[in-house]
Amino acid sequence: MFKIIKKIIKYPRVTQNYPKYPLKSIPFIGKPEIDLEKCTRCGECVKRCPSYAIVLDKEANDIGINYDECVFCSLCEEVCPVGAAQMTTQFELAQKDRNNLRKSTIVIEGRSILDQSYELVSSELKFKIKKTFGRSLHIREVDSGSCNGCDSEINAMSNPFNDIERLGINFVASPRHADMLLVTGTATRNMQRALVKTYNATPDPKLVVAVGACACSGGIFQNTYATSNGIDCIVPVDVYIPGCPPRPQAIIYGILKALDRVK
Amino acid sequence: MIDIEINKKLNEIFPGDILESLSCNANELYITVNPVNILGICSYINCEMGYPLVSMFANDEISLCENYAIYYVFANRDKGSFLIIKTLIDPSKMSFKSITGKVHAAARYEREIKDLFGLIPLGHPNPKRLVFHGNWPDESFPLRKSFDLKHKPHFAKKTISFGKVISEGVYEIPVGPVHAGIIEPGHFRFSVAGEPIINLEAQLYFVHKGIEKMCEGESIEKCLYISERISGDESFTNSVAYCQAIEKIAKIKIPERAEFTRVIFAELERLTNHLGDLGGICTDVAYGFAAFQFTMMKGWAYGIADELCGMRFLRSVNKLGGVKKDFIAGKELKLIDELGKIRTELRDTVDIMKSNSLFIDRVEHTGLLSKKIATDLNAVGPAARGSGIRYDVRKVFINEAYKQLEFIIPEHNNGDVNCRMNVKIEECYQAIDLILQSLEIMPWGKVLEPIHAVAPYQFAFGITESPRGENIHWVMTGENNTIFRYKIRTPSFCNWPALCHAVKGNIVPDFPLINKSFNLSYAGNDL
Repeated sequence: MFKIIKKIIKYPRVTQNYPKYPLKSIPFIGKPEIDLEKCTRCGECVKRCPSYAIVLDKEANDIGINYDECVFCSLCEEVCPVGAAQMTTQFELAQKDRNNLRKSTIVIEGRSILDQSYELVSSELKFKIKKTFGRSLHIREVDSGSCNGCDSEINAMSNPFNDIERLGINFVASPRHADMLLVTGTATRNMQRALVKTYNATPDPKLVVAVGACACSGGIFQNTYATSNGIDCIVPVDVYIPGCPPRPQAIIYGILKALDRVK
Repeated sequence: MIDIEINKKLNEIFPGDILESLSCNANELYITVNPVNILGICSYINCEMGYPLVSMFANDEISLCENYAIYYVFANRDKGSFLIIKTLIDPSKMSFKSITGKVHAAARYEREIKDLFGLIPLGHPNPKRLVFHGNWPDESFPLRKSFDLKHKPHFAKKTISFGKVISEGVYEIPVGPVHAGIIEPGHFRFSVAGEPIINLEAQLYFVHKGIEKMCEGESIEKCLYISERISGDESFTNSVAYCQAIEKIAKIKIPERAEFTRVIFAELERLTNHLGDLGGICTDVAYGFAAFQFTMMKGWAYGIADELCGMRFLRSVNKLGGVKKDFIAGKELKLIDELGKIRTELRDTVDIMKSNSLFIDRVEHTGLLSKKIATDLNAVGPAARGSGIRYDVRKVFINEAYKQLEFIIPEHNNGDVNCRMNVKIEECYQAIDLILQSLEIMPWGKVLEPIHAVAPYQFAFGITESPRGENIHWVMTGENNTIFRYKIRTPSFCNWPALCHAVKGNIVPDFPLINKSFNLSYAGNDL
């Protein structure tokens, strides 16, 4: 017991005060960016990108990255002959609209579960405000076919460094107790039914957050016989958090964005 | 030398059945045999020669030799070599003789081949579906070359039944696929009488993404990034195994500094994973203090990874032919500092943890895996080492770097959670030691020997010791630097049946604890 107390005194607090203060600058890898001035539109990165996230419009002489598909592998930086593609340290990338993450726009078709009706939207707004002030959110995590990288990072959100419960957010064991579904993975063929069931089991109003490139768009595992192109083919999504995997702080940012607690 | 002996021996015992033999890549011997006598040959190699079956896979070689091929991969774990028995299956027959009756480890491989290729294992004791669930139609087999990757078959309605234990008072507990904790999806069917578990059947493959099919026809560069995403927490060792295979095919020897850099990252990954597992074990016995200590240490380990390469999961470090850049130079002192901090903290925490009798009471004699079962099912990694199997890829399939480094394989024999936990604790210390040793002796020099092109239709194995155990990848190249077939066998594939045996006789609340002590990857198993 004495030894335990000694340890507790030795490490009184290791939690980082994110998002109140920005993280101490460490050389982590964030989103890639293409400098349009420098870029010669040679198409080398477009050809070699493992998740085909870079789009080049030869006619409009325009190039850009679909961040929902990007797996942050930094290959574009490596292969660019003129150094136009650069990895930045920006990791707070969550967006409410998938098209805000994309260069080329996308329309989701053929989803059997519809977006919520107006009554629900208005009650959801009330819910959000109430939650914002109540500062309590219950999350159920669903892995619908990830590589377990995103799940590890979600686990890391409750470690002493991030301690997500300080923000009034905690994880619950059943979707019936949850306000938010945190979905990782590409919604594989075998998980689609389980995902829909979990979605239906969560009481309305609810929020759905897609974590990681796979959940946002299918990422590197797009469009095979057993995967789909993102979970929004199956269920409506409120916030997309790109990354492969996104850092715990990026997920925290995304969750707070869904609650409108960050701009 | 050994190749000739094995060939001679097999020719004496099975005259006329050995059709062709090919020795390549220094430690791989491919012997093509007559499919009629496959059971006899495999059981001879497995039982008499003592070579375990470490992988088994089919390959659609109709475009090459108008046949399907099945490869039975046996490993010589004393000399560090592979013996591969290859049989050709005539597409008009579409069936092969099952060897499961004699070589138990083959059971799941044969079911996998049946699902993915539609080749029927004749005489298999339990030929039910493995990869696909009831929603998959009968007539689609994705790994045949004629199957289009993007084709999504219609949703069939079939029910797949579970094994039933029928007796008075026996009931079933279905769990999953969405679990209470933040873990991957899988369905468990417990048959229980009172509290003890009589039988456990795990239905996996919920996260089957078709990785093997996806790699076919893709460039060797893209497949490197896919291999990093087979299983998130083993990203680095998976990609090393893939790189090894391609480097063997390209006949390139990677620079020594790259070899040592890979050792450092692989050991860092092992340290991170084991710390996480130890934390998980503590969480599952509700020992909060130790659990938080371990997660804190794991956080520090992630911090090191961030510091070295900017990626917490060590992705984008490997390149075909070495590592991307010199990640270590200039960061040695910081690394030594941080590792020292983790080592001190680990020692203190383990001291406190082991003096807690309530904790030891939970982990001792829980989830016993006997050495016999572990050998039969070819269990690997810490799970096998806890049951008294002294096998570590790093000692047997030795590379230039590990040759110069010193470490010992932990010795534990009871096969319970406690032993597996102790193996992991000792391996944590050794991982730290190995990194420090590497830093001391690693030479300066370049870190990358770029590979631009590989010859078509060549094949090779890559083998690494991932945090979960032996990890074997087999790559066959196609034309224009693409992949023809990529077979991934992660340690989780071998250890899942072992886990199902280890829980028998334990009470249901101990299942999470036993599961955590194995800490298997669902994604790595399901692919």
